[in-house]
Amino acid sequence: MATIVKETQSIKQALVLINGIDTGKFPRLLSRILQKLHLKDEHSFNEEEKEKLQAALSLEKQDLHLVLETVSFILEQAAYYNMKPAALQQQLENVHLNQEKSEAFALAWTNMGQDIVEKLRQNTFAPKKLENIGWCLNLEMGQSTQAKMKSPHAILELGVNSEDSENTEKIFVEFNHGELLEFYNKLETIQAQLDSLT
Amino acid sequence: MVCNLEGTCSMSHRSCFLGARMPLEVDLMVKQLKDLDKEIFRKILKAVVNSLEGKDSTESVRSIAETKSLSEEQLSCILAGMYTLLSEALRLPQSSLKQEVFKDDLRDLRIPEEYISDFASVVFGSRRSVLEAAALQKGNRLPSLQDFRWRVDVAISSSSLTRALQPSILMQLKLSDGEAHRFEVPVAKFQELRYNVALILKEMNDLEKRSILKIQD
Repeated sequence: MATIVKETQSIKQALVLINGIDTGKFPRLLSRILQKLHLKDEHSFNEEEKEKLQAALSLEKQDLHLVLETVSFILEQAAYYNMKPAALQQQLENVHLNQEKSEAFALAWTNMGQDIVEKLRQNTFAPKKLENIGWCLNLEMGQSTQAKMKSPHAILELGVNSEDSENTEKIFVEFNHGELLEFYNKLETIQAQLDSLT
Repeated sequence: MVCNLEGTCSMSHRSCFLGARMPLEVDLMVKQLKDLDKEIFRKILKAVVNSLEGKDSTESVRSIAETKSLSEEQLSCILAGMYTLLSEALRLPQSSLKQEVFKDDLRDLRIPEEYISDFASVVFGSRRSVLEAAALQKGNRLPSLQDFRWRVDVAISSSSLTRALQPSILMQLKLSDGEAHRFEVPVAKFQELRYNVALILKEMNDLEKRSILKIQD
């Protein structure tokens, strides 16, 4: 098992600071960071909260920053290697994190670790992702070039979201019966592929 | 009113297949047809049928115009009238407009007999299915799916996880309006898509079986 935390200068400094944190407040700090770990661009705390933390933990701004970064790093590594809580605790004690803090890490990881790994698994980057599916079924009775028709038409609305923008792009596709059947057969082929993976 | 010997009566409510009010261009065309040379009529008819099939007929119309046997105004009248007459006749399904009724309507318009059989052979002849297919093509639709490509990926590891093993699907749709869309579909969403498409197919089947669709006109 690789050592997840190498003892660089800044890590050592951070660990000293972490050791100094009030043990009562530490678990809450951990779970808060864990909650937002899987989100790529969001920070666990905004500016206001960071200032409150500075006061609560009696840390200078830079020290607080270092502590938060290091805690996040440790948790990300635990997720990356999908570590068991016991292994995590052992590794942390090896780099001289005191026992109470290591236990706090292990406990938080036991509670929320699996969840985090699952969420990270779902994280993919693709330019666009399918978010919503809507549809309506119409019976076309006539048009300018044909009278007295009775042909069913389905309109599929696919809501596609791209990562950097919040706007959902809507794609409209129309199908008649034959086209829809063809599409469905292709989806069945994809399903067969997915089934062969498990 | 038509009464036959058994005493039942039928009354014909039908107006001409062109509608209650005669389109102006058909009226103008009929006036031209009396003095029209048969060869030229056939050429113009051919050009109109080509354009109804979706082909480009500017060349043939230009060559007719150059023969100078008609003035430009006469040619335009005939072209417009023929186009309207044929497209209106083709709009109605063959079960609604029968050949004899069509011919009778044209006789009521006082179109010369030989031209009537030419028109009838276009509307009820072998080219009918081609013309119907071309008419459907011209209809207004939202874009339909022209090309559908997909692939199934399994992410083995990523920057967040050394063993991810997560399948995902990448789809590329090319639509009939030229736009292409490429997007990823998470497996759960794919199941939702598949379920919905199956649901629509079931509803379509139910709809097609219902008696409202069996009403013949």
